[in-house]
Order: sequence, then C-alpha cells, then structure tokens
Amino acid sequence: MPGPVRINGMSSASASLQMLERRQQVLSNNLANASTRGFKAESPFARLMGNALATTDTVLDTSAGSLTETGNPFDLAIAGNGYFVTQTSAGERFTRDGSFELDADRQLVDGRGNPVLGEDGPIVLRNGKVEIDDQGNVKLDGKSVARLRLEAVADGTRLEHEGGTQFVPDASRLPVAAGERRIRQGFVEESNVNMMLAMTEMIDVLHRFGTAQKTLTTLDSVRGIATTELGKPV
Amino acid sequence: MNPALRAAATGMMAQQTRTEVISNNLANVNTPGFKRSRAHFEDLLYQSIQGQQVLGDPNAQTAPAIQVGRGTRLAGITRMHEQGIVETTGRPLDIMIEGNGFFQLDNGRGETRYTRDGSFQISDQGLLVTSDGWAVQPPVRVPTDASNLSISKNGIVAVTRGRDIEATEIGRIDLVSFANPSGLLSTGRNMYAPTAASGEPVVGVPGDTGMGELQQGSLEGSNVEIVQEMVEMITAMRAYEINSKAIKNADEMGQMANGLLR
Repeated sequence: MPGPVRINGMSSASASLQMLERRQQVLSNNLANASTRGFKAESPFARLMGNALATTDTVLDTSAGSLTETGNPFDLAIAGNGYFVTQTSAGERFTRDGSFELDADRQLVDGRGNPVLGEDGPIVLRNGKVEIDDQGNVKLDGKSVARLRLEAVADGTRLEHEGGTQFVPDASRLPVAAGERRIRQGFVEESNVNMMLAMTEMIDVLHRFGTAQKTLTTLDSVRGIATTELGKPV
Repeated sequence: MNPALRAAATGMMAQQTRTEVISNNLANVNTPGFKRSRAHFEDLLYQSIQGQQVLGDPNAQTAPAIQVGRGTRLAGITRMHEQGIVETTGRPLDIMIEGNGFFQLDNGRGETRYTRDGSFQISDQGLLVTSDGWAVQPPVRVPTDASNLSISKNGIVAVTRGRDIEATEIGRIDLVSFANPSGLLSTGRNMYAPTAASGEPVVGVPGDTGMGELQQGSLEGSNVEIVQEMVEMITAMRAYEINSKAIKNADEMGQMANGLLR
C-alpha cells in the first residue's frame, strides 16, 4: 500500500527542474533533426507520478513528414502507414528514410549499406529501367522482380529509436495490407518536426524553469529564516 | 557538456553544410549540364535515460525511461539528375541530350569520363572534343573539307564534303546510361566517373528505350532553379536560427540552475 501523498515543496520544485531539463534535451534533438529525412519527433509531456511530482515522458510523433520530389529512382517515400525493413548486423530495422541506392553487388541498400528487404530477401537489380509502383512492386524493364516489405506496428506501440533514422521493430509488427500500401518512387519524406511548435514549447520550458527555480530559492530562504531567525533572543 | 547544447550544435552544423551545398548549386546556375545536389542527414544515437527516482519517498513509482537523441549528422549528398532547361544556341556543335544518358569522353589518360555538357568543338586534329579538349568516344573525325555538319536525334553525324550534294556519314555519337546516376562521382568540370554505386555504364544508341535523344543546336542548362534554392536557403537559415535558440534556451537554464546556489 502506498503511503499518503506528501507534497514537499523542495522536491517538487527540483523534480520540475529535472523534468524541464529533459524536455529541453528532447526538443534540442528534434530541432537538430529538422531536416533529417524520415525523422519522427519525440513529443515530450509531463507525467504526474503517484507522489504528485512531475516527470518527463515522451511519445513518438508518427505523423507524416512532407514529401519532396527528387526524381532519383531509388528514393522512396511512404505516403501512408508503415516502415521499410532493412537488414542490419544487429537484426532487422524499420526506417522511413527511403533514400536508397545500389551497392557494388547491385543490391538495394540504405545510406549505411544495409540491404533493404523485399518479401524474398535482399533485392538485387541488374541493369535496366527500374520502376517501383505504389504497392512496392519493383519492376526491371517492366517485369516484376521483387516486392518491398512494408510493415507496421500496432497503434500505441512505443517504437524504440536508433541512430541512423532507424527504429527497432516491436513484436507486434505486421505487414501493411495491400490496399494500404502507398509508396512513391522519386520522393523522400522530410522530417516531421514542427519548428513553430518546438519554438513555443522552448519558450514555455524556459519560463517554467524560471518559476521552478524561484520556488526553490524562495523555499530555501524560508528555511534560512527558520534556521537563523528563530530562537534568537528578542 | 549539456546534451541539449550538443544536440542543437550538431543541428547548426547540419544546416551549415546544407547551406554550403545550396551555395554551390547557386554558383552553378549557368553551368551547362550541371546537376543540383542536396545534403541529407540522419539522427545520432539515442540514450535511454532511466526515469528519475523521487527523493525521500520509499513508495514512489519510478518514472518510465525515455530516449533522448544526441542530434544529427550528415548522411550524404545526393545529386538530382532531372533534366535541365533547354538553351537554344543555334550552334551546330552544341548537342543536348533530351532524356537519359551521358556522352563518353576520353580524358587523355586512358580513362573514360561521362558528361551531359554537349558544348563540343573541333580540335586541330579534326576530332570532336569538349571545351577541355577531351575527345568524344568513339572518336568522330571531321574531314577538313567538310561543311554543314548535322547530328541526327539518333546520333548519326553527317557532313557535306567538298562540292558533294549528298551528305556523308562520318560517325555516330553513342550514349551510356547508368542504373543509378546519383551514384556517379563528380570529378569537376562537369565530368563524372562511374562508381560501385552508379553501376556499370550501358552503351546504347540515342533514342533507344531508356536512352535520350540528341538535339543539335541546343544545350542543356543547369537544373538549378533559383527560387527552389532560395526557399531551401531560407528554410536552412530558419532551422539554423532555431537551433541557436535551443542553445540559448539550454544556456539560460544552466545559468538559472547555477543561480540556485547563493
């Protein structure tokens, strides 16, 4: 049984300072990635703990970034739900950064050289005109040679971020249904960071930080009075 | 260093690189055959921060761990190979490729280089060369008594010799295509070299499937669009600015934290 909630001004103010510092770290990372293709922002929010103290928690903002046309045949964007699947040395990974290319073995790879997976494994393309339709069918000179894997996780799943604009897939992963696949060849998905929102949130963080700091110093001076003034002979 | 400061600093560096690439595009707005580039980025590693423990309360819950990213870094610079604008010059030795493909050139050291800049000239030996003197491959030799040089859309080079009435075919300009032109290595002077990423060159006749046609008397201008670059530059500048604001914010918070101890 948890004990009664005791609100302590000092620890509540110091928890606020910590919470805001983390919030600023999350915002800084979002802003640093304002032009990272396929980047998904983390939205910080305050979670109230059982002891009436606030802490920072985040949710992955999975909203779509805008699509930019590049005209490169191996630039792919997902205009709907889902992630591309790549094979890294640490296992399969999800990404929405579809700036792919061919490696020396003419394998379709991501920017770090990890193979992009089709339904039959890595995709190797011989010379010819490459077309990728909205369903993710890869066609070489008009003939279908592979189909890109496109997977999604259940709503509300917390996908883990990894560097290189990758995510660690979750056990709830499922292929995206045929009717919901929307792949655009020659496009890339931009970062979904909203700079205006981030800016206003930063201002808010700064002001609240100031408030929490003042609260702490005020409480401290109250204690100071208690220790120095009380008990003085009148 | 405070991770918030560091992350925002990587963001500023990224926008700086982006602006450098835009500047190079803008500098080449009048370079025939020039293809614009774009810098793109990826996020850095994430650190899981364990939720904070609450002081002095044994029954307190532990907050869930959150992931805090460490910023961004350059992932690559990609060249965009869309068609540039048509510049009609009327000069018979200006050839434009309308569609896919590259001209093949011999750089004089036995290596083949590729270009889309078709502002050719005739060398002192009668060869069709670029303005740098690199010969078109396979070589096209123009006889000294030739006049009325014409190049068909399929690459056939024909001239009228001496007092002839009929035109004589003197050679053919082939084109090559690459599976991934963005993977070509730019060697400067509008030239490209193949790499593992671009794939092997595939030689073909202009006008064949997957190959562009030739157009005599025109040049392909740069595919840089000033307005688009300006918009990119403004976006980059704003992103740079907001990252500097993030630094300022983190700095002020640090100062306030320091002010706690009086």
